Amino acid sequence: MEEWRFIDFGLVDIRDMMAMDEAILKSDEGNTFFFWTPKKSIILGFFQKADIELDIPKCKDYTITRRISGGGIAFSDERCRQINYGVVGTIDNELFPMDIIGSYKQICGVLIDTLLHYKLNAAFRPINDVVVDNKKISGNAQTRWEGKLLQNGTLLLDFDIEEMLRISNIPKEKFLDKKIASVREGLTWLDRELGEQRDMEEIKNVIKEKFEERFHVGLKSGTLSEKEKELTNTLSPKYYSHEWVYR
Amino acid sequence: MVLKKVQGIHKSKGGLIRSFVKAENGKIKEISISGDFFLFPEEAFFKIIDELKGIRAKREEVENKIEEIYRRENIQSPGTLPADFTESIMKALEV
Repeated sequence: MEEWRFIDFGLVDIRDMMAMDEAILKSDEGNTFFFWTPKKSIILGFFQKADIELDIPKCKDYTITRRISGGGIAFSDERCRQINYGVVGTIDNELFPMDIIGSYKQICGVLIDTLLHYKLNAAFRPINDVVVDNKKISGNAQTRWEGKLLQNGTLLLDFDIEEMLRISNIPKEKFLDKKIASVREGLTWLDRELGEQRDMEEIKNVIKEKFEERFHVGLKSGTLSEKEKELTNTLSPKYYSHEWVYR
Repeated sequence: MVLKKVQGIHKSKGGLIRSFVKAENGKIKEISISGDFFLFPEEAFFKIIDELKGIRAKREEVENKIEEIYRRENIQSPGTLPADFTESIMKALEV
């Protein structure tokens, strides 16, 4: 059976993680699946402006950066109960379809299989969400580079909606009870769905198994190559820079 | 650069598009767009922003320009069409 590299980066500073993320995509170390858990942070989508999407003065104790893929804010509170993942794969029209929504569906299928394992009513909601009973439990974002794709996503185990609403810059005309109610009704997380806190390592192991089944590969623990480490060091200043984050 | 004037908000199937536009003598002078949509290749987005400057602030001309850039740059934006960007921009131009 083909082996792909697996890395668990653990609890990370999101700026370092985004540099490693880009380095894995832009190096040539083969298909890779990786996990991390973000410290208290906000990641802007490529097309988002910080001062439009966020109430900046309220974000002082958050680390803010931007990723190279589109989509919306990835918000991580101090509970740190999120499993984030990355996949780098060569687009082959089998395991990783050329069609954008098809490729989201394929990778999100790993999370859906995981949630089904926990007997939850999980489904793919195009373009890039995984839902349980139509409530978003996972957001995903993809970019492509030289015949490869990079997809990042999160599985929420716990989530502080009130805190996200506090720091988000919701347009005045939408700042109504209805809007807040709809955000509350539109999101969920694993601890709530299961009625208990499961061990994060146990859930990661289920995700890994489902990944191996879906892609018909074995995941072998590895590390960044020297080339990837060098590229990470080169890319890292961007993710710490004012120009990149507040452009 | 953020133009804190009229915000044009339009939701496409692919995400929320928030536009800020300043027009002068009927032409787009400054423009800024923020949103949670997806667009490939990402860098082509800046060409849209750059090339809309100087265009007449008319729906048809804005949409034609964006469509032209889509074709030239092979842009894909699942769930978001040139017409969606145009709608957001036109809303920002309404006073």
